[in-house]
Amino acid sequence: MGLLSIIRKIKRKEKEMRILMVGLDNSGKTTIVLRINGEDTSVISPTLGFNIKTIKYQRYTLNIWDVGGQRTIRSYWRNYFEQTDGLVWVVDSSDVRRLDDCKMELDNLLKEERLSGASLLILANKQDIQGALTPDEIAKVLNLDAMDKTRHWEIVGCSAYTGEGLLEGFDWMVQDIASRIYVLN
Amino acid sequence: MEEENDLSISQTISAKTLNPRSQKKHAAMIERLSNLHQSRLNQFISRRSDADSSAPFESTQAFLNRFADSKRSIESELDRLRFISNDLESNPQLKSDLEKLSIAIADLEKLVAENSYFLPSYEVRSTLKAIAELKESLESVNLKLVPRKKFSFRNKPAKKDPANAVKESEISAKESDFPVKGGDDAASAEKSRFETRDSPGFRNEVGAVLVKQFEGFESGDFTLSNLESCEIRLKGRLRALFVHRLKNCRVFVGPVLGSILIEEAEGCLFMLASHQIRIHHAKATDFYLRVRSRPIIEDCSSVRFAPYLLVYEGIEEELRESGLAEDTGNWANVDDFRWLRAVQSPNWCILPKEEQVSTVNVSDLEKQQ
Repeated sequence: MGLLSIIRKIKRKEKEMRILMVGLDNSGKTTIVLRINGEDTSVISPTLGFNIKTIKYQRYTLNIWDVGGQRTIRSYWRNYFEQTDGLVWVVDSSDVRRLDDCKMELDNLLKEERLSGASLLILANKQDIQGALTPDEIAKVLNLDAMDKTRHWEIVGCSAYTGEGLLEGFDWMVQDIASRIYVLN
Repeated sequence: MEEENDLSISQTISAKTLNPRSQKKHAAMIERLSNLHQSRLNQFISRRSDADSSAPFESTQAFLNRFADSKRSIESELDRLRFISNDLESNPQLKSDLEKLSIAIADLEKLVAENSYFLPSYEVRSTLKAIAELKESLESVNLKLVPRKKFSFRNKPAKKDPANAVKESEISAKESDFPVKGGDDAASAEKSRFETRDSPGFRNEVGAVLVKQFEGFESGDFTLSNLESCEIRLKGRLRALFVHRLKNCRVFVGPVLGSILIEEAEGCLFMLASHQIRIHHAKATDFYLRVRSRPIIEDCSSVRFAPYLLVYEGIEEELRESGLAEDTGNWANVDDFRWLRAVQSPNWCILPKEEQVSTVNVSDLEKQQ
């Protein structure tokens, strides 16, 4: 417990949060991060490896780790689990065919002990595309209601293309992490 | 760090306390440690001497010798094939011989890739050049001995004939071989419920010409799934394209504003323009692309890339509106997620100009429908 309280104290001073963005390939993780940071999203290559972005968000500093989602590199996700405060799971709401893949990978992730304390934000991305599944439908397919009761989670529909819903999702996550870690403030 | 502390504490304790039993234990431990140290030293020394005496371990000279040996054997085999009989009938072995050679060259390439981390860059370059030359001469022998089937541009859909039907049954047999994805029953039931609410698309067709014109500024996504020997033309702008299980198809698509995801394609030709393109499990397929970012392949083999050559009335304007007016040249910057090395991936190459199709105009083809 000693180490944990030291980490908490350090973090309290800097008000830093470590956010891990994962999800299947083609779900829009990098586009979301760049959109939130107000950067150009017109030329984004599929992520080979990972990107780190440090973003000032409200009174906090978010360290966002955006890790590539291609099948070959999913096994490397676990290298980024340590000390994660917030987990963002991004879903391509228009990719109905791979939803069971998506569910399987998410279930595996949530079994991970090192992520057990992290707040979980599920972004049902690409809502701007006609025929995309709604967040409610995604929640049903992913069977989110059956999740461990101790987990803090939320699902938000969004579009990295229009920017809609992104702030709503991140607001929830930042508030949720803050209320766990910075209770004294 | 804590473990280290524990260790030093336990050492001082056992040294200080005069308990003879623990002292004995302590002495035994020290002895074990020194033995271990000695054996490691011995190992180290023996390894050093190995390396000095021309062992294969990270030795440039050993690598070069090995490379030269296999290169020589491949060349002599090539020469032999070049001068033997010209026709296939009199030499049934020929085809397998040629295949063996191509495998040998691929092995050689792998050898270079595996050793490239310690080789001087000059050696890497020169060996890669040697491999390219070998490939070229193999290709020329190939062309001379086994004339290639002429590539022709058909407009008529392939007719369903008995041979085709046989192929179909083969495919369905193959499909049942695909592993069923995990997930519990509830989830798959849930999924199938959503799959009934299919997004627009062409599915489960054989030997058809499938044409679709997208109207309006922003269309949704579109799916091509389980098609065989079809020609597909999608005109107009769309947001996203999903391609799944295509065989021997020719696919011509106008600008896609979002991304294209391709899984399982064999013996196809794709002409695509998009912001992002991901290709999984494709083999023996040619891609004519205009893409803003770097296209990626994963688990692919024998895929080739060329620039986008599609033309129909109004495509220029549609490309411009989708931010795809200029060719960034990224069609040639392919990332292979199965080949994360400095040398060129063996899974893809650039389609030589003389083998490319000419510009494809699909302006008036829809009238046939």
